[in-house]
Amino acid sequence: MTALVRYQIALLARSQRWLAPVVLYAAFVAVGVQGGQPVLDSLGYGAAALLPVAAWLTRLCVTGEPPAARHVTAAATSPARAHLAALLTAFGCAAALGVAATAFVVLVSKWADTEGQVRINPLGAAGAGLLAVLTCALLGTAVGALGSRPVLHGTGWSIALTATGALLALVTAGSPARLTVNALVGGSHAGAVPLPLVPFAVAVLLAGAVGAAVCGLSSRRG
Amino acid sequence: MGRRYGLRGDWVLRDVDLELGPGSLIRFQGANGTGKSTLLKVLAGTDAPTEGRVEGRPGRVAYVPERFPGGLPLTALGYLVHLGRIHGLGRARAREEALARLERFGAAGHARTPVAELSKGAAQKVAVAQALMAEPELLVLDEAWTGLDEAARDELDRAVAERVAAGATVAYVDHDPRRLAGAVDVAYEVAGLGLRAVNSPAQEGESGPRVRILAVGPQGAALPAGLPGAPDADGAVVLTVPAARSDAALRALLGAQPPWHVREVAPVTAPAEPARAAERNQA
Repeated sequence: MTALVRYQIALLARSQRWLAPVVLYAAFVAVGVQGGQPVLDSLGYGAAALLPVAAWLTRLCVTGEPPAARHVTAAATSPARAHLAALLTAFGCAAALGVAATAFVVLVSKWADTEGQVRINPLGAAGAGLLAVLTCALLGTAVGALGSRPVLHGTGWSIALTATGALLALVTAGSPARLTVNALVGGSHAGAVPLPLVPFAVAVLLAGAVGAAVCGLSSRRG
Repeated sequence: MGRRYGLRGDWVLRDVDLELGPGSLIRFQGANGTGKSTLLKVLAGTDAPTEGRVEGRPGRVAYVPERFPGGLPLTALGYLVHLGRIHGLGRARAREEALARLERFGAAGHARTPVAELSKGAAQKVAVAQALMAEPELLVLDEAWTGLDEAARDELDRAVAERVAAGATVAYVDHDPRRLAGAVDVAYEVAGLGLRAVNSPAQEGESGPRVRILAVGPQGAALPAGLPGAPDADGAVVLTVPAARSDAALRALLGAQPPWHVREVAPVTAPAEPARAAERNQA
């Protein structure tokens, strides 16, 4: 699996297709997060923006290898393992982006609640922020996995449904991403650092189930 | 096993029942669109059968597609090292093997070239090199010769014979009916939705040109894997192999650790008789 992931990282890094989502996310965070704003609000914003980026990265990883090369890799290992490597690579990149964004946000933001009255512990905020970006990266990867091969093959539908899926994952009531972001924003109002463990656990389960399903499908639908 | 694409798609293959043994070369032939490529993909494990199953596939499997794409953003060597590691080789070993295979197929000069900039033939050499690096126990070739130059095609023929001599199973499709014709153990025609065994040129060639090899091995040594027969008390053995396989058999004998001593190599003139005589001698 390590060799497969390393290969996927090399494919993604050398293709330069990662540039667009990464630059877009960096711009989004840099513009949206102003220095001196309440830390928890900004963390929520950074985590929410990561979800569509993770979906995009997943699409890039899953479709990055030309079909013939994919068959070669799949024969050497198995289609499911090759597909899992692509998903893990995408999640890893999204998580790394999220961790960097969390560090940036905690450093430049004001360590206080929305009113500026109560001090927020920066380490606690960073912990909550990490949990939030991981939740969003997991859900984004799941959305991206469902929106591309082996589930959907046509490019047009695929992109439209991935974008819609990412949006729905952010706004649907009960979605772990929405719950996490709401917890951060609510915590900012209340002046207390939240610990959104339940949405994170749900995201892990969801992403695991989606991953198992699409990897199992990869040998049947190509 | 059977395979169809989509829930209501037409069956491409149905009720295919096939057993492939180690140390054998299997040819699949048939008109375009009969499902040869699908069958090879199922054998290689990149495609799962819709019904039935594939059992006992060995650990090291390699597949060579008909056309290797230029869309990879890696150099030839970079790609091969990654694939070598995916096949389970260590980093240094993967690099060594990659360079050796590129050299063997006359593509050493392309090692640093991005795969995207390679000609069709050179990219195909990379695909072939990838498959041979891991010394696969199951090698699946889907018209792998297409696009290769004459020298590389011959080299691939030799490489296939070597793999078979080393005990691997090699399954292939090629549009040229003479491809490896003398060495094929079993040939199948893919027609309708299933398989039909055909008399391969090699089976006819059981009476075709054969070569007799007299070799003496180290005391008590067994024959290298994939070679027929067993040494007698003095360690000597007479092998009668199809002419197309003689190079591979010799290479296996000389390359064994410790190597065998080849005492005599001669064409068999009256094909069937000496072969039987040799078998009697061994018995």
